[in-house]
Amino acid sequence: MSGVIRNKIRTLRFLNGEMSQAELGQRIGLTRQTVAAIEAGKYAPSLEAAFRIADVFGVPLAEVFEWERGAPN
Amino acid sequence: MPYREKVAWLSLLSMLAVFIPYFSWTALHPPGPEIPNFGQMALYAVTSLSWAALLGIGHLLLRWRAPGEAKLPMDERDIAIAHKARGYAYGVLIAGMIGVGGMMPFTHGGWEIANAAFFMIVLAEAVFSIGIIRAYRRQHA
Repeated sequence: MSGVIRNKIRTLRFLNGEMSQAELGQRIGLTRQTVAAIEAGKYAPSLEAAFRIADVFGVPLAEVFEWERGAPN
Repeated sequence: MPYREKVAWLSLLSMLAVFIPYFSWTALHPPGPEIPNFGQMALYAVTSLSWAALLGIGHLLLRWRAPGEAKLPMDERDIAIAHKARGYAYGVLIAGMIGVGGMMPFTHGGWEIANAAFFMIVLAEAVFSIGIIRAYRRQHA
């Protein structure tokens, strides 16, 4: 089944006081480059990292990530 | 540039800097059949020690320039990138060892086999570094 994981990390960072990628990474134990890769949709994080990201923003996981069925990778 | 990409560049470039001259010299001046061949052994020892010295100095410089980054543990993407690159390198190493250990003894001997094995090890290490660099460049895991 083809599809792609979309995320709203950029928007959520903006809504949380323009949090930097480095700060988000520091709070969840990832490097700034990894946060950038996740945000750009180039890297799919582990389930644990995804939950940690949602926890930092205080929102459910589904508000950060969504599966877009049939979308090209 | 991520710290681990810099380390991969260091490994790749230092390897090319010392092993290209070694293998070029060896190809142009094939070692004789005498065993032990102290001249060839000394050349290989100097090459390996030079690589180790370059790596050591390079690591110190990288740590000195970015002490914070150097201390950071690998995160899940760093581990995934290293794992994938190691897979490519393992394939190269296995193919090389089949050729060197399983086929060359029937047609070659002595330093030819040893140097072919060294070459495949260096090639596998280069593939590992290239795999890491490529993944960080493309932001993939």
